[in-house]
Order: sequence, then C-alpha cells, then structure tokens
Amino acid sequence: MSSITPLLQPIRPSRHFHVIDEGQINQLANGTLEILAETGVHCPSEKCLRIYADHGAQVDFAKQIVRIKPDLAAASLSTAPRYYTMGARSPAHDINLDGTGLFCATDGCGVETIDFETRIRRPSRKDDIARMARIADHLTSIGFYWPIVTASDHPSTSPLHELDASFNNTVKHVQSETVMGRDLARHAIEMARVIAKDRETMRKRPPLSLLVCCIAPLGQDREGMESALMFAEAGLPVGFMSMANVGSTGPATLAGTVVAGDAEIVSAMVLIQMAHPGAPVFHSFMPGIMHPRTGAYQATAWEGTLLYPIGVEMAHHWGVPTLAGIFATDGQVPGWQTAGDAASSLMLCALAGAETGSGLGLVESCKLLYPEELLLDSDIYHRIRTEAAGIDTSREALALDVIKEIGPRSHFLKHRHTRDHTRRRTLSDLTSQPNPSGGMRDPIEVAREKVDWILREHHPEPLEEIQQKELTRILEAADREIGGGK
Amino acid sequence: MNGNRPALEPIRSAYRLQYLTDEQLDQLQDATLHVLENVGVKFPSEKALRVLKQHGAQVDQDTQTVKIKRDMVFNAMKTVPRYFVMGARTPEYDLRLEDGVTYFTTDGCGVEVADLDTGQYRASRKSDVGMMARVADYLPSIGFYWPMVSAQDFGRTSPLHELDAGWNNMVKHFQSETIMGEREARYAVEMATVIAGSKEELRRRPPLSSLICTVSPLMQDQPGIEAAMIFAEAGIPVGFLSMPTLGTTAPATQAGALVMADAEIISAVVLMQLMFPGCPLFHSMMQAWADPRTGGYVSYPRDARGRYGVVEMAHHWGMPSLGACYGTDSAVTGTWQSAAEPALDTFLAGLTSPEIVTGMGLSRTYTRLFPEQIILDDDLYQRARAYLQRMDVNDETLALESISNVGPGGHFLGQKHTREHMRTSLVRGVTHQLDENNKYRDPHEVARERVKWIIENHKPDPLEAGQQAELTRILAAADKELG
Repeated sequence: MSSITPLLQPIRPSRHFHVIDEGQINQLANGTLEILAETGVHCPSEKCLRIYADHGAQVDFAKQIVRIKPDLAAASLSTAPRYYTMGARSPAHDINLDGTGLFCATDGCGVETIDFETRIRRPSRKDDIARMARIADHLTSIGFYWPIVTASDHPSTSPLHELDASFNNTVKHVQSETVMGRDLARHAIEMARVIAKDRETMRKRPPLSLLVCCIAPLGQDREGMESALMFAEAGLPVGFMSMANVGSTGPATLAGTVVAGDAEIVSAMVLIQMAHPGAPVFHSFMPGIMHPRTGAYQATAWEGTLLYPIGVEMAHHWGVPTLAGIFATDGQVPGWQTAGDAASSLMLCALAGAETGSGLGLVESCKLLYPEELLLDSDIYHRIRTEAAGIDTSREALALDVIKEIGPRSHFLKHRHTRDHTRRRTLSDLTSQPNPSGGMRDPIEVAREKVDWILREHHPEPLEEIQQKELTRILEAADREIGGGK
Repeated sequence: MNGNRPALEPIRSAYRLQYLTDEQLDQLQDATLHVLENVGVKFPSEKALRVLKQHGAQVDQDTQTVKIKRDMVFNAMKTVPRYFVMGARTPEYDLRLEDGVTYFTTDGCGVEVADLDTGQYRASRKSDVGMMARVADYLPSIGFYWPMVSAQDFGRTSPLHELDAGWNNMVKHFQSETIMGEREARYAVEMATVIAGSKEELRRRPPLSSLICTVSPLMQDQPGIEAAMIFAEAGIPVGFLSMPTLGTTAPATQAGALVMADAEIISAVVLMQLMFPGCPLFHSMMQAWADPRTGGYVSYPRDARGRYGVVEMAHHWGMPSLGACYGTDSAVTGTWQSAAEPALDTFLAGLTSPEIVTGMGLSRTYTRLFPEQIILDDDLYQRARAYLQRMDVNDETLALESISNVGPGGHFLGQKHTREHMRTSLVRGVTHQLDENNKYRDPHEVARERVKWIIENHKPDPLEAGQQAELTRILAAADKELG
C-alpha cells in the first residue's frame, strides 16, 4: 500500500518588490552585452562553436572564443519561453510556472552524509538519495527534487543512478545537476522518456530538467553544453548556473560579479535558442564571496545575500524563469548559523518573484548532508510562506461581532470563533513541542525523529514494474558502456 | 577609552513594501473606530474618566468604560506629531525620527540572567542593567536602550534604579518600559531633568521616553496611564503598547486582534492629546499566539504575519511606530531556533520603515538574558542592514575593465581592482571567523568572546559628578518614600 504524496505548497507572495531599480538593471545588462560583444566567452566544444558561427556570432575557432553582438543576443533570447511546465510522475505535482509562485528544491551534489543510523560522517551513496527523495516527496515545501548527494558508490555512472534513486522514490519533478556529456545525457533522456511514457508527453510535461554549471570567469564546460543541447532537443528544460566567486573568479565588487556571471549564463542560453528555438531554459546565478584570508567560497556573507535576488531580477530582464539560490549556508552543523543564513535569501528571492529555487538540506557550503537539516529548512520555508502571503481582513477575520460580545476585561477562550480559528492556526511542528519533563523539546531532536517517522511511514507510489525494469535495463547498459557499476 | 564608540548604524532601507493595502488599512481603521464607538475601553482612572467626559466621550462611571465617537477621535488625533526628537546624553546620539530611518533598541524587562562566567541562571539585578548598557552603548546597531533586565535587587523602585544604571553606563537615549504610577513617574522626570540639564532642554531633547502597556482586552492600566500623564506633561515621549494574545485575550484571527489592540492604543492616544495637545507619542503592538494545548504565550508561531502590518497601521494614524523584532521563544541562545525565529525580523521591519524598533538580546520569550545573545542578534541585524541598502552600480563597481583584463579563464586575484575592493568587504560578522587551523569557529563562541571584550574594554563617558550626586539623591528620596 503506497502513501499519498501531499500537494505542493509553493510560496505565493501577496506582493512583489524589486531589489534593484530599472536603471540599475539596464546598467548591469548593458555590462553583460558589452562583455559578450567585446571580451567574449570561452567555449571548448567544436559543435557549439559551429552553432554560434552558423547563427552569426563572431567565433575564434583557434582560441575557442565566441563574441556575440547585442542584437544577436536579443534576437536569440526572444524565442525563449517565459513560462513552461516542469512535469512530475503524478500530474497533480506538475509545476506550472506562471509567475505567481516560488517552487523549491532540495540542495544537491553533497559529497558526504551523516549516516542515518550510526550518525557517523561518511561518503554519500545512492541509498542516501533514495531515502532523501522519500522525505522530499513527503514535504509540501519541496516542489521538485535535486539528488541531494552524489551516488559515490557508482563512480562513472553516478548521475544516472541518482536519477534511478530519485524516480523510484518520489513522484515529483527531478532536476539533475550532474548529467554531463553526450553518453550520460543520452541515457538520462531515455530514462525520462520511460517516466513520461512517450516522447510527446516528455516534451509536454518533462519529468526531468538539467542544470549546467558555467566555468567562471567567462567559460563554458564542453560536456555540460553538449548535454544541454541534447536535453533541449528532447524538450527537457535546461538551466545555466554561474557560481562566480567575488574576488577570485569574479571581480571584487558585487556589480562586477553580476555582469561576469550573467554573461556566462546568457551566452549559454543564446546557444540553446540558436540550436532549438523555443526550448525551455532557465537562468541561475549563485555566486559566492571569497574569504579574504583563505580564498574559500562563502555562500552567506552579509552583503552577498543581495546577489541572489539580483540574479532573479536579471533572469526576468532576459525574459526567462530563474532558479534562485536559497538556503545556502556555510554553517558546519545544523544550528544558529544554518538558521540565520537560510531565511533571508529565500524571502528576498520570493519577494523578487523567483519561480524556482534550490536548495534545502545541506550544510558546510552545500557539501554535507544532515538528514534533519531538510526538516529544519522546511520549517523556515513555511514561516516565510505564511509571512509572504498577506493578511486576511475579511469580516470574519476582523471579528467585530466577537469583540463586541466579549467587551473589555474578559477573554476569548470559549467563543466559537476562537475554537474555529485556533484549529486553523499554523504552529511549527518543530518548535513549541512540550517536553514531558518541563519546557520545550530541542527542535533539532524533533526534526531527527520526524526523519525516522517519514522513512518508516511514507512510501510514495512506486513506478510501474515495467518502468522499473526499463530503468534497470538502461542503467545496466550505461554501466557496461561507460564503465562503472560498483 | 571614551572615544571608541562607533557611530550609529540605523536601518536606511532602499526599498519599501506595503504589507496591508490602502483598502485594508482603511478597513482596519474603520473597525477600530467602530470598536471605540460601540464597545468602548475601560479606563480605571478617575482622572482619565473626567478628562474624557469633559471632551464629550460617553463615560459609564460604574463600569469605567469609555466610548468615543469617531469625530472626537479624529479631532484629538490632529495634534499628534508625526516625528520628534529622542534626545541622548550626547547630542550626536540624538535620534531625530524621520521617514526612512529605523533605530533599534535592546529587548527589556528580562528577569533571569545566565551568568557570563559561570553560565548559571540567577535573578537579574541592577549591575546587569549597567553591564548591558555599556554593551548597548558600544554597538552601532543599538540606537537607544531599554533596560534589558529588571533591577530585582531594588524592589519597588527598581525602575528608577534601572534609569540610574542606564545613564551611568551609556550616552544613548533611554526608554523605560517599567515606570508605572504617578509618584514613580515624577521621580523619573526629575532624573531625566538632571540628565537634560533643564526643563526646557528636557522638552527639546528628552533623554528619556516611556512605554506603557495596555491590558487586553480593551482596558488601560491605572498606574500606567497615570504615569503617562506625568511624562506627557513634561514633554517626555510616551508609547502605548498592546500585547494581544490570539485565542485568549484577543480574537483568534490576526485582523481581529489588530483591531482590538489598535482600539486600546488609540483610546490612550486620544486621552493624551486631549490633555496635552501636541505631546510626542508612539504606537506599538506586539501580537502573540496562545499555544492551543497549554494556553502558553508563543511569540513566534510559523505564522507571524501580524508583526509588520502594525507599523503601517501606526503610520496610517499619522504616528511613529515602535516595531517589534527579536525575543526568541528558544530557552537558550545560540540555537537553531534562536536564529530561525528572528532571522528575518530586521529585514521585514525595515521594509515598512518603523521609526523605532525593539529589541535585541533576550531569549525564552523576552525573559532570559544571555549577554552574548545581543552579539548574535546584532549579526542578524547587520545582514539585513546590508541587503536593505541599494547595490552600487557604477563604472567602478561594474568592473568591465577588470573583466576584460582577465577574460575567459584565469582569475581576479592579481587585479588592483580586487585588492582595493576586498579590503572594504567582509568580515565583521560572527560567522566565517577562522581558528588556528583556518577552520570556521563556532559563531556562538565568537559572540561570547566579543561581548566579554566590550564589557571589559568599553568605558562610556561618565556623568558629571554633580549629575551623579543628583541621581543618587533622587534615588535615596524615592527609596525612602516608595519603599
């Protein structure tokens, strides 16, 4: 008997605001266009260079540098759809991007896990992805799933095993950030087709999307770009992410890093539209700030948080949806810092009108999985979801008749209005949990218990047997062909 | 070590967000007027009832309930000043309330302290008020000071001893939330006059303001409202704070609680303006939620939407607002909960631009002081302050030349532009501090170290000897009279 996957609860802000004015957006966008036209982007793929050249970009094949004039960039991007659907195994969990809601994913690509049973830190593996997919499936805060860690027990074909673990354990949309290169992409698309059941449905309600990282400064990744072309051809959404680091792989100013990172993303989206006009693409800007003493990537410096909603604004300027950077934390363990880091980027991006964002659940700058961190992040998500939703001032909510009835000096405890509305109150299921011996329980301990409960009780609808067999067959073929297995 | 106090760093938000629509604000205000006119508010003070009656309110002497017609409310509200000055001992720390600037204070009225050295919990005392005043004096995020805990070692006159401890340990504006009763208020005014130097100066740059709680539902507190009269007469700003608890002392819907609490505040404001037209007042509302299982007071449920709309309600009445931030329900500091709850407070408050806001530094729903918590809360404040500032976009920050120099591949480490700008960036927070192995330190440990440093090293300018002697004399008289 399988469990019901609760319906998604996206963040639907009652109002949006701009973290940057139109004049500044234009300055940044003009900076991007100037860099694309004059400095160019490095693209080490013969196939991509030819597409650029065939469509009028200025290509230096020897140096593998592409320069794109502003008119060409604008014309190419004009075919990119503003909104589209990110399908799910279950149609009720399809994400229809329309600008009214923000749907969030888990974080991804972590490399280590705090073991579910022993609590000892170890390399991550396929089973972690499967278990966390089930937890993500249960949480209404999670709109779609990023394989949260790497299947390091399946070295060469880990991205495909990550998809297998995900599709088998959640009915929600899956977004991969690791399927790079033609061989992996071919198998991944085949897996997506098995889930969608046919190519037309896969195009209409794609159950899989892909995020490809650029290489700052101003570089494309050959394998990533070639994967992206194949995904786009199949109708699967592809996004491009810049992780420029202020001060090392980006200039030391926020505006400079926005321009450098944006140029990488825009150059890649231009290529996809040249090759497959109308293909669904998204823009993702997730920069860090270099620690001035160690050079390390910091996800959450004081002023750096502003970079994430500005990424949202840039995506919208180019007329595409965004995958916003939310929840990243440099905290080492679930605690004060992970909570302090989490909330601000999510609220800023939600108010700026982000359509999608990732990622909940990892600590140590997106490297380490504490299973309970996903529950803690989810609690913060719901706080922000309710705060962003606005206040009800209907006649019933104003409660004038109730106030008149109670009058000065009394209480509202026994009124029916109180009973009705108290039942509807949203209290946290992690905080305010009474401890039998007095006081309140530690929310982190409560979160750990919830992880165990979900893993025990929540078993999403399985794939049909034939789909499971097909995925296994594809995996075996990929393992044989690419190498790998255990 | 007098000159090491950094300049204030208030929130100056580049953005504004309207939580409540104009229509909702009108709807709420109309509902408040409806409650004032038809339900009324209890004023358990003969003096207050007399004034309200004289000005045309409908007063029921038996129940001490006052009903006020909307015309009377609007007439009284006409004289409320939109902005005023909250003076400090040192003029450069005066707070000139204005549009778009928000000053924060500490939290106040805690009753228990986790001793910095032993970690043991004990009852709060006057020396704690002084110790935290020095910390507040040092931090640029703190614009004015609420005595963070009660001077419980001084019984009935503790509010006056809190003033003494505050003014002897900082130069910033002092706001009390504990001076209740006419006689207590008169002593406080006398002390404030000593700090200001004269009655005229007290009125011009009052170094003290007072916050008075109403009693939900729909009632005033007699000692509170009578203290307010003394302060308002002297020109000391007074705020009225309603703390409705949804489900017990207020309706279980946010809008209902807002209306009821607003009626309590506005009724007090009307009284003050009738007595002292033009006296400086501010509006404050802090909602809480009854835990449906225990009736316990929950400051931070998941749904805290009412926190910032109230600022707009104050502004809709043409009054300054004391916003409410921080005060985690977590029993101890440095925990996940103690950041998850207040993390967005400063940011969300900043978007509505209240003139003043309380308050950093307490745990266990405003009752327990961990001295280092103010450093952690300050870190959350500074994050919000940073992203409420508009990003610089100009030729220098766009760095097109630097990007062009580096080109695809490579890095920016060798660029002059990088060296210049990395110097001004980072790292004042409690996070990302390195240990001897270049690993990040525990932010809580960093906070403890910083607060100890401030307590040991920051010595604000002392009061003049004459002022100190005067305060001591007033305290002695109060102790003698009030016990």
